Amino acid sequence: MARTPLLRGGVAVAIAAALVLAAPLALDQYAISILIRSFLFGAIAVTVDILWGYCGVLSFGQATYFGIGAYAFGLAVTQIGLSPGVALGALAAGCAVSALVAWLIAWLGFGPRVTPLYISVITLVEAVIFVQLIYSGGDFTGSSSGLSGFDTFDVSMEGWFRIAGLFLLAAVVLGAILVRSDAGRLLVAIRENEQRCRYCGIATARVKGVLLAGAAVIAALAGYAYAGYTDVIAPDLGNFQFGTELVIWVALGGRGTLYGPAAAAVLIDYASAYLGGTLPFIWQLIVGLVFIVVIVLMPQGIGPAVASLARRRPRAVAPPALATVADAEVGGDAAKPAIAVAGLSRHYGSLRVLDGIDFTARAGELVSLVGPNGAGKTTLIRCLSDGAERSGGSVAIEGTPIGRAAPEACVRLGLGRKFQAPNVFETLTVADALRIARARQERLSPWRRAQSIALPAAARLVLQATGLEDALATEVRHLSHGAKQALELAMVLAMQPRVLLLDEPTAGLTKGERTLIGGILTDLVRRHGLCILLVEHDLEFVREISSRIIVLHQGRILLDGSVAEVTGSELVRSIYTGTPEPAAA
Amino acid sequence: MIGLLLDVATTAAILFVVAAGLLITFGVLKIINFAHGGFLTVGGYAALVVTQAGGSPWLAAPAAFVAGVVLGAAVERVIVRPLYSRPLDAILATWGLGIVIVQLITLAFGRGTNFVPSPVSGAVAAFGTDYSAWRLIMLVVAVLLAAALAALLQGTRLGLEARAVIMNEELAQGLGIDSTRVRFVTFALGAGLAAFAGALITPLLSVDPLMGVPWLLNAFMLVLVSGTSLASLGLASLLLGGAQVVISTYGNPVLGALSIVVLAAVLLRIRPAGFARG
Repeated sequence: MARTPLLRGGVAVAIAAALVLAAPLALDQYAISILIRSFLFGAIAVTVDILWGYCGVLSFGQATYFGIGAYAFGLAVTQIGLSPGVALGALAAGCAVSALVAWLIAWLGFGPRVTPLYISVITLVEAVIFVQLIYSGGDFTGSSSGLSGFDTFDVSMEGWFRIAGLFLLAAVVLGAILVRSDAGRLLVAIRENEQRCRYCGIATARVKGVLLAGAAVIAALAGYAYAGYTDVIAPDLGNFQFGTELVIWVALGGRGTLYGPAAAAVLIDYASAYLGGTLPFIWQLIVGLVFIVVIVLMPQGIGPAVASLARRRPRAVAPPALATVADAEVGGDAAKPAIAVAGLSRHYGSLRVLDGIDFTARAGELVSLVGPNGAGKTTLIRCLSDGAERSGGSVAIEGTPIGRAAPEACVRLGLGRKFQAPNVFETLTVADALRIARARQERLSPWRRAQSIALPAAARLVLQATGLEDALATEVRHLSHGAKQALELAMVLAMQPRVLLLDEPTAGLTKGERTLIGGILTDLVRRHGLCILLVEHDLEFVREISSRIIVLHQGRILLDGSVAEVTGSELVRSIYTGTPEPAAA
Repeated sequence: MIGLLLDVATTAAILFVVAAGLLITFGVLKIINFAHGGFLTVGGYAALVVTQAGGSPWLAAPAAFVAGVVLGAAVERVIVRPLYSRPLDAILATWGLGIVIVQLITLAFGRGTNFVPSPVSGAVAAFGTDYSAWRLIMLVVAVLLAAALAALLQGTRLGLEARAVIMNEELAQGLGIDSTRVRFVTFALGAGLAAFAGALITPLLSVDPLMGVPWLLNAFMLVLVSGTSLASLGLASLLLGGAQVVISTYGNPVLGALSIVVLAAVLLRIRPAGFARG
């Protein structure tokens, strides 16, 4: 499948590059001078699209890095003078400062328990601070009027045109390679369901931080070139108005398409230069009105709307082949309990949902957690897999206390968690979802798609049993509720956990599928020595597969014993049927 | 010292009045209305039109309120309502609307700066010092506005419904509350309050098409740290506005101008709930 699209892509890039190189011969000087700027803006729009359109990070701060890159050149040349060493040093400094600032912004914006809107807020603040710093820089930064007329590179207008055009082309091509790669799928997965990514053991905050820093460096490069070309630096290169203009271009061109934002940025900026001079306010007004209309009526943007008129749906990509990885010996350290919980509590204000929970579970045990609705079963699962959740007590996975560790760190200790409601990636294909689940074992390539996915036998059995093996190229949102449940279970098994937390894994599956999955689970426990903690309502199912049962009632452990002990218990029966306890009667 | 305390109190009052409309919109519709700055500017120009037409400066703020309500009602119906299920897009659309409002005002009134006569002028003796009469009036206005909004929320059927929608919109709908109507009224009221605030600040500042921009960001940050509570907004305005005054007076005016956004950003990082609930 790789040959033809690759060839077609290569030809398209070659033609585009040839056009960029030849265009100065056909264009007048004014058009060339404007397009240089438009191309650079287009390249930043591409980075905004990767951040926002693909990864869901709405940043208004890309303009700020453009400003930092521009000031790095302008200030270095004004203060020290132009030489190759200074030019290179300024380039390195502009990129480094941008990356560092972006890293700081990521640390602030992607911290634990920070709302998703916060990154947009902090990037707005970032732009405001940038402008105020320039204002307060006095003669050094040229304050509000900026600096101009400094020495710059001896490059002709045509030369700058070719540099800027190839820079934009490179941004689009590299961006396209990234978003089509396995790592690019991860960006979409983070946008779709960041929580699930973290429970696949992926440190999403770091991924987004790296992406933000990379995008900042590209914007800084564009700013550097802009300062070199125009010979002018001014505070409005980095203000939030420009930052929002970039977002508007991306929305108009079509977020998540790369070519749309690039085209929109170039076309709108180019048109602005012509119309903005003669009809400045009308032009701005038109852009604003079109923006509102596009957001309300065609949220996908103009690019995809035009493209959908021109061609049919893209061809389905052939799904990758499945392979089986050898099961690692996951027996674990039998001396240490797989899960050890002591004095665990969880309260919301004065409401105590869990209180004084103590239990241990060993490798080779399948412990079922039962109890009526509201007993605290799901809360307990949450407290075991996210260190920040519990209010008191301790949890250790295979002897290592989880402390306040984030879910991705708990997963690295060997934990796997299946959520109660299917928690998957709606717009990814089944194969992509499985690949994300395997990301910790097999690095996701940032430039290509792997041809096969190696899964452990248990995950493959689930896929086979539920027919998902024939639906690898299907987008997850088209699956039934039961199939999504099965997919999530397969994803969790694909991570090869040693301790498995399953919250109603078979809800929505048929009787036959349940029996099959029950068999797979007991096999994992008996043959591979996993420890499974299972939340289930179907007591029949529980009785068949459990080695032990814990009964939770009103946030406390009521009973912890063998299957026979628990199912024979008068107490348990009274809780489930609601008949009063004999003692109380 | 008295002068500084009065500066803190009146700055907080102005910030509260400017941000109140944004807060109620955020509470009920769960979107940040980026056109708030635009509505504020509309209020400033409404004051200009009223006074230039010979109306009393005292009429400026009420007239601006009416203009804001009408504009807000139209905007809710045409732009915000269709984006009900896409809150992030709604925020972007209000951003576009802010641009459109600024450009329309520029086309109608030009880019120049205008001045609106103040209903009262000069300083009055207060607490043993001479202080700007209009800033003191703003203090009174803020207190009255807070009381009026509290009475509206606590004492009327609409307020009850609005509180229900703020707490749990699905449940409120299930109880037969017409949340579409609550959203409509709230957005119009929020826009009205923005314009009202825009008219009220005209005696202190000049009127120009971009007058709303600096206010928008401060109001936005104040609302983010206040959540949906008017009391929290009052507290946030007092503390962050106070910090702004103190830093501008004793430190650097540039830092002072940044203090609200920076402090709010740091606060949100440490404590995402901000001043809300404790």
